[in-house]
Amino acid sequence: MSFLRSAWYALPNLVRFVIRRLFVGLLLCLGITLVSFALTQVVPGDPVSANLGDRAASDPEIVAAFRARYGLDKPVPQQYLLYLERLVHGDLGESQQTKRPVTTDLAQYLPATIELATAAMILALVLGITLGVVAAIGRDRWPDQVIRVISLAGVSIPTFWLALVTFYIFFFKLGIAPGVGRLNPGGKAPPSITNMFTIDALLSGQWTTLGIAASHLVLPATVLAIYTVGSITRFTRAAMLESLSQDYVRAARAKGLPERTVILRHALRPALAAIVTVAGMAFGRMLSGTVLVESVFSWPGIGQYAYKSALALDLRAIMGVSLVVAAIYILVNMAVDIIYALIDPRIRLG
Amino acid sequence: MIITRRMLGVLPIAMAAAVAGMVPAGAFAQDASTLVVDTAFQLKTADPAREFEPTANLVLHPVYETLITFKGSDLTTLVPSLASIPVVAPDAKTFTFTLNPAAKFSDGSPVTVDDVIFSFNRVKNVKGSPSFLLDGVTVAKGAKDGEIVLTTEQPDPGLPYKLANPAVGIVNSKLVMANQGSADEGADKTDRAEAFLASTSAGSGPYILDKFDMAAEVVLKRNDAYWGAKPAYDQIVVRNVDTSAQQMNVMRGDSQIALDLRPDQLDAIKDAAYTLSVPGADVVFMFTNANPEISATAANPDFQQAVRLAIDYDGILAIAGEGAARPGSIIPTMFAGALPTDAGPKRDVEAAKAALAKSGIKDPSIELTYVSDITKNGVSFADVAAKMQADLKEVGITANLKPSPVSTFLDDYRAGTLPMTIVWWGPDYPDPSDYLLFGPGEKVGLRAGWKAGSAPEVTEIAKKAAVEIDQAKRVELYDAWQKALNAKGPFTSLFQPAFSMASSKTLEPVEYNAMWTIDLTAIAPAKQ
Repeated sequence: MSFLRSAWYALPNLVRFVIRRLFVGLLLCLGITLVSFALTQVVPGDPVSANLGDRAASDPEIVAAFRARYGLDKPVPQQYLLYLERLVHGDLGESQQTKRPVTTDLAQYLPATIELATAAMILALVLGITLGVVAAIGRDRWPDQVIRVISLAGVSIPTFWLALVTFYIFFFKLGIAPGVGRLNPGGKAPPSITNMFTIDALLSGQWTTLGIAASHLVLPATVLAIYTVGSITRFTRAAMLESLSQDYVRAARAKGLPERTVILRHALRPALAAIVTVAGMAFGRMLSGTVLVESVFSWPGIGQYAYKSALALDLRAIMGVSLVVAAIYILVNMAVDIIYALIDPRIRLG
Repeated sequence: MIITRRMLGVLPIAMAAAVAGMVPAGAFAQDASTLVVDTAFQLKTADPAREFEPTANLVLHPVYETLITFKGSDLTTLVPSLASIPVVAPDAKTFTFTLNPAAKFSDGSPVTVDDVIFSFNRVKNVKGSPSFLLDGVTVAKGAKDGEIVLTTEQPDPGLPYKLANPAVGIVNSKLVMANQGSADEGADKTDRAEAFLASTSAGSGPYILDKFDMAAEVVLKRNDAYWGAKPAYDQIVVRNVDTSAQQMNVMRGDSQIALDLRPDQLDAIKDAAYTLSVPGADVVFMFTNANPEISATAANPDFQQAVRLAIDYDGILAIAGEGAARPGSIIPTMFAGALPTDAGPKRDVEAAKAALAKSGIKDPSIELTYVSDITKNGVSFADVAAKMQADLKEVGITANLKPSPVSTFLDDYRAGTLPMTIVWWGPDYPDPSDYLLFGPGEKVGLRAGWKAGSAPEVTEIAKKAAVEIDQAKRVELYDAWQKALNAKGPFTSLFQPAFSMASSKTLEPVEYNAMWTIDLTAIAPAKQ
């Protein structure tokens, strides 16, 4: 026992932190399976009605075959235990809508959403931090006022409306944006490596496909980024104002360091901890909240999959999406904590 | 080279420019040999034996040919496809088809009687949504080469109309069996060909399946081995596009056809494209439950009559928009046996008040349930329910609106527990016999609490209509049956929502077909 303890403490702090968080994350995921399973059971409505045609739903043989195929003929606790047993083997069950393994569906739809959310996140970080820093430097002067209006608009404009308007202007009126979807109609996807078309095209050297995939990404990613730009701008401004009032910033200025160095190295770096927190939460929110953008831009991602699953009471698909999104949240949060430590040496993991 | 911070700063801009430069001029332009169709997908599978969704009919109709089919928008006249028009025995229990010897699958192998037997048995035994089409049907080889004999347990003159459904399309049995397909008893557990059929196709139609992505697009490629007339396009891309973007796509030329427009969108598009707004095949109807255990008020015949006379049918039709129609009863306007609009009930407020007084119910109040989370071709059930509520109030009936998500609504509706509701019926096959389910004691009749024996005269006419094989006599019988249904039944048809679409002027005008929406194989570029 003491050997184990000393071996544990012999591990670097970071490794112990990651192991501990992963263990807690596993327990959380287990809890999420229980909650999502319980919710799918208490929701009124029968998957048979939602998935079978009118005639088929009235045929006892067909209904029995449907229930047997999806394990709905077993007692509820047994259904949950069977789900857990399969989950251990990486099997999330079969979707009633697509009649494919949920893992296959997720492998297809999740990368499309991750690609979209990542592009949006990069855009939001670049714009949000830049605007936040400019607003803080120009506090209460016109740049600050203009940026405040922009960030307020960002968090206030409904995403669905913004998606339609941008599509109307840039695709329909100006003709400078490509149409809907991830590629042109009937376009060949690059060889599947990550299922993120831009990355796969890059890795396989298909430059034209990369260009087309990237161009299809621009408009939905921008729309998705707008809300997050607003919140990152506001947090960056607040964090920067806090940093700029610190003694070490005054000391840096007193030493005669160039203002740019003072801002970027001495003020922005400590402010980044707060920004990373917002960004981590925003990324999780983007993953689970892309449905409206995906709908307008016909982006075949996990948002649309989850929405259609919910409408069709596709229990296994709903649970699969819940579990994967929860796991990503947990991993992103862990990554945020690690980045904290890297940004701010005062923070110790362990 | 020394990389300075300034250079790093402009790196993202340089990368964006480089990416933009990778897209060759005209990369977004469309190939003239490709047809692009936008629709909001209702699609679950590419396996004909398991499909029963509108988008599946649209994309599988060009891939899997049926024994007989329809041409254009006419669903009253069957035309030969893989086989001739069947010879029907006088008892309407035996149907003999003769295969066209020229027919062959996309791999070049001939379409045989064995393929037909396999395909039909597979539809029955995988126990999917379309299995009911072949309930009680036995399929066997005929006495002559290329002959197929279908035998039914009960007389079924509507059977040939069921066989035009793409769900009973003929598959290449050898190919499907080689890929874990089965048509034997127990195929619901043993057949594993669905994944194979989502990756390729095994039909004899003018197109083959090239890509099947249920979330994004279905791509069909021309079948170079097709045994019939060559289709106009090398490739057809059917994309899953939200209705809000479809109009812009077709106006911009990004797609050639938009299938899910609302009637009110057509005005904006009519100069740029051909527009079509015609009654769809779904019939939206309402019922007052005839089962007094569910609601004594709803079951009162005079109350039912008061409701029928109180409704402003023209007002509801106006809500449904241009292109919508009102059938005279439950059979939609494009099917044989449909009644003209004036055969349906008409609004008469005074007569409604008199009927209500005769019912003896003082200040009646009833729950009116409707589906709140979906629309029918853009028509909101909430709007229709609100209109009905106002109409009923005028005659002294209080309707309490009860919105319900479709998933829970269907359970209540099918259990027959709703006192009054607005609901719809989409045809399973284009024959009036599909609507006999609205009779007393039948499936839909029971949902409205209309028990067997409640209206013997309606049942009698239905029995005759179900077995009559002479088409003219059938139409007469279905007319009479619907008139009796209007007079005695708990159902009242409200409207057929409009099907509204737009197609590019670079195409010949496109026709609507209630079975597969549009015939993709018949679409051709505009003549110069």
